[in-house]
Amino acid sequence: MKERLTLNEDERDCLQELMNISYGSATAAIADIIEKFATLSIPNIKTVSLEEFKEYIKHKLNHDKSHYVTSQSINGTISGETMFIIDENSTINLGKEFDLEEDELIQEELKDVVLEISNIITSTTLSKFAELIDASITFSPPSIKILNSSEEFNDTYVNEYSYIIIISTVMKFEDQNIKGELLILSKDNSILFIKDALNKVLEEF
Amino acid sequence: MIKNDIIFNTIDNGIIILDEKLNIVAWNHWLEIRTNIKEDEIKNKNICEQFPYVNEKKLKRKIKAVLVTKNPSYYSVDPHKFLIDIKINSITDNIFESMQQDITIVPYDVENKLVCLYIYDKTSLYKTNFKLEKLNVELRDLSNRDPMTRSFNRRYFYEESNKMLSLSLRNNQDISLVILDIDKFKNINDTYGHSIGDDVIILLARKLEEFVRNSDVVFRFGGEEFVILLNNACIDNGYNVIEKIRKKIEELEIDTKKGKLHFTISAGVSQFCELVDVSDIENTLKRADDALYIAKENGRNKVVKGE
Repeated sequence: MKERLTLNEDERDCLQELMNISYGSATAAIADIIEKFATLSIPNIKTVSLEEFKEYIKHKLNHDKSHYVTSQSINGTISGETMFIIDENSTINLGKEFDLEEDELIQEELKDVVLEISNIITSTTLSKFAELIDASITFSPPSIKILNSSEEFNDTYVNEYSYIIIISTVMKFEDQNIKGELLILSKDNSILFIKDALNKVLEEF
Repeated sequence: MIKNDIIFNTIDNGIIILDEKLNIVAWNHWLEIRTNIKEDEIKNKNICEQFPYVNEKKLKRKIKAVLVTKNPSYYSVDPHKFLIDIKINSITDNIFESMQQDITIVPYDVENKLVCLYIYDKTSLYKTNFKLEKLNVELRDLSNRDPMTRSFNRRYFYEESNKMLSLSLRNNQDISLVILDIDKFKNINDTYGHSIGDDVIILLARKLEEFVRNSDVVFRFGGEEFVILLNNACIDNGYNVIEKIRKKIEELEIDTKKGKLHFTISAGVSQFCELVDVSDIENTLKRADDALYIAKENGRNKVVKGE
């Protein structure tokens, strides 16, 4: 079963390609919505086990900075959860790009901006991805937490995923670098569905 | 054929249809009843002009996001609390003045740039959350504080010292620790009674909290024994702080039926040393305790620095 849940090199390449296309629609949407030229770097995709994921999160969150972490459930043919992780400095830069005034750069307003960007990236990327692999999905409203350590992360989030896709990207708004990461946590059945869908795509080309 | 207007007017949540300029195209019965505003009165009017507290910039952006992505966008009660202010007229429960709402904005007619706003009443859920959070604070307080003095307890000392240690190591700052107790406390109990003895302990707790800096934390370790964690303080700073406190305590006067009561304290001070203590505050505590023992041996009402 475990072997069935991991992606081979061809499948990973195919996923990378489909995600590149899906992310393209998110880039266009962001630029359109906030009327600023935004680019998203080519996403770096890693597929990891839960243990590797915990190590990854530990390394990521155990620094001086706080991180804004949103999570959103996905239901449908692909089910699981997406997370968007962004550090505090990037969040403040993002707030400025969303035209928040200096006095609006407070936690509550910043949370809203992160929720919004995360919802845009998640919904456009995954809707496009679902369309490409012929799946249908819906999203639940996102929730947000500010975390200061990986222990808080482990306390907060359940461990029901055995396989996780990490898509990291850097958003660029003219001269500002804003680093945010989208994580897709898929249930085992969804991984099998994605794997089969990727193989169908591979057979076609 | 399904009659949409029946659903529109009988569903148990608010529905507003807006155009991209924020003009109200439809306003359902749920909203008519709760706001006392009829659809005819509000139709074709701008939502931000009707309700000036609605953040126009934000709402426009969310509507644009919905129309561009063709996916839902969400206003959560946190941080917005509500989109349309609907007062709650409850005399039994006054946690929230206004209905707490969750808002989902979905595309309605993308071609004509219309969106639909669903308003969900989440007041009961948020009341429950509010009460739970309050209970959690009380529970934390119960497990972290000593019931008699309300000072932090020994259990919380280990939690707080761990946090303080990692912060000080990261910022390259010193941490000092003081352990102190009331001299000849048994005599106070025997002479004035246990009730006065308890009053003395409570008074000492308040005075210690009053005399330390905001960044320092006082813990009651048990009986008449207290520990103070001094943030960003070397052993000399720690010594100076507790020596001043010792003098102030010496000057205190408590009125009792058996006359005025004076008491003194003895203390030992130590500084956390990464090399010697290897991240274990217990070793620092032990050095301060040894210093306290010397203070007692040398006549009490004294502060002694540990090695």
